[in-house]
Amino acid sequence: MNRALFRLSLACLVMFVLLLVNINYVQGFEASSLAGKPGNARTFDQQFQYQRGSIVADGTGGPLTIADSQPVKGDSTSGNAIYQRHYPHGAMYAPITGYDTIYGATGIESAYNKYLAGTSPSLAVHNLISLLTGKAKQGASVNLTVSPKAQKAAYQSLLDDGGHQAAVVALNPSTGAILAMASYPSYDPNLLTTFDGAKLNKIDKQLLAEPSQPLLNRAINQTYPPGSSFKIITSSAGFSTGKVAGPQATIAAPQPLTLPNGNSLNNDADEDCFGGHPQVIQAFLLSCNTAFANIGMKVGGPGLQSQANKFGWNDSNLTIPMQVSPSVIPRIADKSLTAISSIGQLDDQVTPLQEALDAAAIANHGKVMRPYLLQSVQAPDLTTLAATTPSVLTQAVSSQVASEVGSMMVQVTQNPQGTAYQTAGPPAVGSLVIAGKTGTAENTVSGAGLDDAVFTCYAPANNPQIAVGVIVKGGGFGADAAAPIAVKIIEAYLGVH
Amino acid sequence: MLAFAVAVVLFAYANVGFGLNGKLPAGLAEYGLAFAAIVLVAHFAVRKLAPWADPLLLPLAALLNGLGIVMIYRLQESGRNGNPGTQITTISSSTTAAQVMYSALGVAAFVAVLFFIREVRVLQRYTYTLGAIGLILLAIPAVLPDRFSEIPGTGAKIQIAIGGFTIQPEQFAELALAVFFAGYLVAKRDVLALAGRRFLGIDLPRARDLGPVLIAWGVSLLLLVFESDIGTSALFFGMFVAMMYIATQRTSWLLIGILLFISGAYLASKLFSHVGARFTEWLHPFTSANVFCNPTPAAHCVSSYQLVQGLYGMGVGGILGTGLGHGQPYFTPLVQSDFIMTAFGEELGLTGLMAMLLIFGLLVQRGLRAAVAARDPFSKLLAGGLAFAIALQVFIIVGGVTRLIPLTGITTPFLSQGGSSLLTTWALVALLMRVSDTARRPAPQPIQDEGMTQVVRAG
Repeated sequence: MNRALFRLSLACLVMFVLLLVNINYVQGFEASSLAGKPGNARTFDQQFQYQRGSIVADGTGGPLTIADSQPVKGDSTSGNAIYQRHYPHGAMYAPITGYDTIYGATGIESAYNKYLAGTSPSLAVHNLISLLTGKAKQGASVNLTVSPKAQKAAYQSLLDDGGHQAAVVALNPSTGAILAMASYPSYDPNLLTTFDGAKLNKIDKQLLAEPSQPLLNRAINQTYPPGSSFKIITSSAGFSTGKVAGPQATIAAPQPLTLPNGNSLNNDADEDCFGGHPQVIQAFLLSCNTAFANIGMKVGGPGLQSQANKFGWNDSNLTIPMQVSPSVIPRIADKSLTAISSIGQLDDQVTPLQEALDAAAIANHGKVMRPYLLQSVQAPDLTTLAATTPSVLTQAVSSQVASEVGSMMVQVTQNPQGTAYQTAGPPAVGSLVIAGKTGTAENTVSGAGLDDAVFTCYAPANNPQIAVGVIVKGGGFGADAAAPIAVKIIEAYLGVH
Repeated sequence: MLAFAVAVVLFAYANVGFGLNGKLPAGLAEYGLAFAAIVLVAHFAVRKLAPWADPLLLPLAALLNGLGIVMIYRLQESGRNGNPGTQITTISSSTTAAQVMYSALGVAAFVAVLFFIREVRVLQRYTYTLGAIGLILLAIPAVLPDRFSEIPGTGAKIQIAIGGFTIQPEQFAELALAVFFAGYLVAKRDVLALAGRRFLGIDLPRARDLGPVLIAWGVSLLLLVFESDIGTSALFFGMFVAMMYIATQRTSWLLIGILLFISGAYLASKLFSHVGARFTEWLHPFTSANVFCNPTPAAHCVSSYQLVQGLYGMGVGGILGTGLGHGQPYFTPLVQSDFIMTAFGEELGLTGLMAMLLIFGLLVQRGLRAAVAARDPFSKLLAGGLAFAIALQVFIIVGGVTRLIPLTGITTPFLSQGGSSLLTTWALVALLMRVSDTARRPAPQPIQDEGMTQVVRAG
């Protein structure tokens, strides 16, 4: 019988070893993934028991706290919560901060949750020290590149625009640091910080049902037809491929242009474009459609697309750290359709961020810097845990081509005939030189009403510090509806006027 | 050793107080003294009644019992008397006092067993009596109306509720049946081991010898069906098969037992929704539909809420744990009974949980050692079966709450809240100590002065 007993004791040993291995797996390896699993009451509860890190707009005009955790005003629904999230500037910074609710988070709140919540491995030592010294656990604060001056001007000017859905992104062309990102209509994230699940559900449903989609961050997650602002890409493609010699080369710009498929393409308001034989730079400042349709046909659909890709279009992996919807330019073989695509119509789709990147590439000698929001992460003891080093995303064009396109963009605002002379040229901004391009896109999607207004620019032209992309849905002419918004942001950021 | 066990428990108890509100807990003197007194009584009983018994068994049992009381106190205090946390409604403010009282009763049972059973072999005389008692104890809740026998909200019919007082007779049935199995198998082991044919290299038993196995199988299945108590059914059947194996040393019994169990479990999972649900819950615990399931007669969903909350607690505990009183075990429903190990995992961490499993392992090992040392087959079988039953019970419940195997409700020996389980486990340890005492007792000294003897010399 003893032999059987020995075997049985081996069976017991196996059972205990299995248990030990399993708890090692659960508590050692699976622990961090368990924290994010559905219905984890502890994670739920703990996130409001300690002070979550602040989000700070640390660009020019800052630092300005745009999200912090404040001691809760206890009511029947707050339960164990000690801290409640608070957004001092509400809707203005909502597309950046996002929100942090009892059910989930968006925006920076979600993307840098591990720092804000203090769960990042880089904070483990800090947490251990505060545990040992008896201090309350605290999240790290996240400092953003956003300039409070630029952001305020951006949101205020969208608000003053008269109720159009619109979005704007401003960035530093030489680093890619995002200086402002505003979307209208927006929402007040403070509405969503309640601890009352039923109330939160109700508010969330209301916001989702709202036809104007206030939760949508139009600056990076909504695309619009770029219209004439795409002529920056078309010219770049023409110069880079050598199909067009330079800004001074003459290009045929008949009114109308008969396309290979027999359809006609017209200039805006059927305008005569320097007698039908303008230099490229003249066609650019007047924004003649037929001239750029010709350049597009010379370059060809695939060439146009690969030039756009070099500016960052068709990139579905871009994050800032929020996911950016790709700006789309399809690969077109047909010549007639290429002609329409090269003036930013047909199926071309662009985000306001990409508009800003287009101008930034020209401003930064052809280099597109990777756009980013995170300046640095600061632990509660003020040591820096992480910081962004600017990096090149793509080389859009050569430095030579960039300066050629740049010189054309200057003419748009400085030449009295330029499309943005009145709104972004000397009459509006005096001696400040803004280089830009207007776009007035027929929006087949929106159907009724006015065209979408687009403006992309950088300033000052000789020493670019800010690049801006603005799109106003149904705003009308780019020069009238979009350019003034960009001007206000530039002036606020550079501190002129 | 015993003093060390008491010191660990008192330290843990004080720790709970510091963890909860930074003060020494209110009942330190009362509970601490009561626990020390209980352990002291057990100690003197052992010195007097079983002096040769394995010296490690009592300290191990006392340590586990003490830690159980500490955790129940910690859970009781959650949200009460100004302490942090949420109040656990299934625990009343006198639960710890009750648990200390049950411990006293358990030790009383322990002393009684040592006092009345001076030789384990005497139990062999009552083989069939105890077998009948065991079956009756098992059957009572099944035939009682639901309002007397069902644990509210669980569907398990395993208790007898009279007034505010409940007992779970199956716990006592475990001991009675273990004695019955041992007695029966000792009587029949030769027949079971030797008769039969060889088939495919395995010795097959005769068909009529299969009878008792099939009866045990049937009883455990009935238990499962009528009382919805899968864990206990698996425990009884496992204990029986193990004892069968010790008695006959034939692998065929082991294989037959395992096959029967697997086919029984499979059939039950197909036939009875509450058994099938345990498998679904085990395989897909994190599916939102299961976590947030709110079972109503209309919606047939499987609620894994309790299981995942236990796992989440262990996840929060991680390697070192949150510390006693710093965790949030109150999020796991009914954490004080089946899920108490997850509360230890949360507050003492992987480290503490491993230490506690090793204590259980040691207890089992000392029990098996007593079985090996025992001289008569009945004691060997009984001690071996009981020691294995502890191991299996720990495996079933800890494996269940840590998602190693499908979760089946069963108490954690010594730790879970409740008197029946504590009483049984203390009595079980007493039996092991009696076996160990008998085995290790030195042989009686031969009488020196035998007077004159006549030497017969063969020529």
